[in-house]
Amino acid sequence: MDIKEKLEPVFRSVFGDDDIVLSPEMTADDIDGWDSLTHINLIIAIEKALSIKFSTRDISTLKESGKTIGDLFNTVSAKAV
Amino acid sequence: MSPSSLEFLVCLVVFATLNYWLPGRASRQFLLTCLNAGFLATQIPDVQSAVATLLFTLSGYLVVRVLQVYKSSLILTGYILALVFIFLVLKGYPFFGSLLSSPERQQIGMVVGISYLLFRQIHMAVDAIEGDITGLTIWNYLNYQFNLFGLLAGPIQRFQDFQEQFAELAPPASPQVIFESMARVCIGIFKVVWLSSEILAHYDHRIDQWMSFEGTYSWLEFTVRAAEIFYVYPLYVYMNFSGYCDIVIASSRLFGVTMPENFDWPLVSRNMIEYWTRWHRTLGFWIRDYLFTPLYKFIAARMPTKAAQWAFACYFVALFLAGTWHGPTWNFVLYGVLNGLGVSAAKLWENYLIARLGRKGLKTYLESKPIRYVAIVATIHFVCLTLLVFPDKNIKLIEHILRAKPY
Repeated sequence: MDIKEKLEPVFRSVFGDDDIVLSPEMTADDIDGWDSLTHINLIIAIEKALSIKFSTRDISTLKESGKTIGDLFNTVSAKAV
Repeated sequence: MSPSSLEFLVCLVVFATLNYWLPGRASRQFLLTCLNAGFLATQIPDVQSAVATLLFTLSGYLVVRVLQVYKSSLILTGYILALVFIFLVLKGYPFFGSLLSSPERQQIGMVVGISYLLFRQIHMAVDAIEGDITGLTIWNYLNYQFNLFGLLAGPIQRFQDFQEQFAELAPPASPQVIFESMARVCIGIFKVVWLSSEILAHYDHRIDQWMSFEGTYSWLEFTVRAAEIFYVYPLYVYMNFSGYCDIVIASSRLFGVTMPENFDWPLVSRNMIEYWTRWHRTLGFWIRDYLFTPLYKFIAARMPTKAAQWAFACYFVALFLAGTWHGPTWNFVLYGVLNGLGVSAAKLWENYLIARLGRKGLKTYLESKPIRYVAIVATIHFVCLTLLVFPDKNIKLIEHILRAKPY
């Protein structure tokens, strides 16, 4: 199972939307309700689901404007090794 | 030496020109190190303060080194508590300030730039334990902490960004960059030296006028004068601080350092949460990363079903602490309380809208232009209210008004 397949159910659960399909070029603006609080909820859910831990810097930089789902995939891949 | 002084401007032109022609990054690093040391020396009043500043700063280097090897939460927590304790004592916060007598405080001296050193040291210690500090040397550490462009009043730059820029210190790529930077420095000086000084003089004059007036105002006169105080001081703070940031951000660019922007059109914020991502935004982001996120994460990981209800409390605590960091007197506590209430109310309002309209309804609500304009105007007024308690003079004026009958 690749990162995308692992993350999609997490996203659907956090944002309460079963239609979410992730692609690397997507940004936070493409998903309804992705604010600073749901960002932390998402981080907690990913940490639980994949048994990884994000650092303070990861959490902060992943929410910066211009960051994409592709960047999240890369960060998660590096940690899930 | 103040960044808005003529001496600073002359030094900037001379040393930026020298930096531009210097060959190799080592010579540019050496020049910046000398400038940082020279600027720091102008801020240190005596030997005790030099020792106190150096000890406070070097403790950060030592602890980061230790945390890189031993990832101990106990050491991290102990160090952060010690830093905060020293900050509270030296800044003279209620209760903590009384732990030292005035002669004892003089004997210790002052830690130059302690308010911002505190932020940078906590950030480095936390990032160190998480493995996000690499390539640390005493050379880049001291230059980071004593970087003259952020030493006294920010912006709060992250070590990783500084380190990357310091490794190169590339001179301005084109004459256009030099021209743009110098133009921004001039705009900053205009804002600090002329515009904000004029606004402050006007504000001071009005306050003195009001404080010395023993008669009664008509309601119309009262409203006009109160409105003047209400709007003028926030305008002064904005001009002064954004002007200062213009100077230091543009100056740093001439030496190959890109300081983060501190303002992003704060007057178009639609609520207090957005405001703190636009006004003094490096402080806002620091609060988010090192206060709000760990606090909320701690609660959400343990009580996931109650996290949403607790979020507004986390907002309040984070902004309350950030407000009181501004100073040890009660007006700053009140400033913290107001900001805490402002961000909590914004979150509660959003929760209410989601509950009532759903996520899609919230999206429509946020896209409505009339609602946006009303929200912006309301936020501007709330911001003015928070800044009303910022200067001590306003508190005295409010006391004066409450004693007198305004009619």
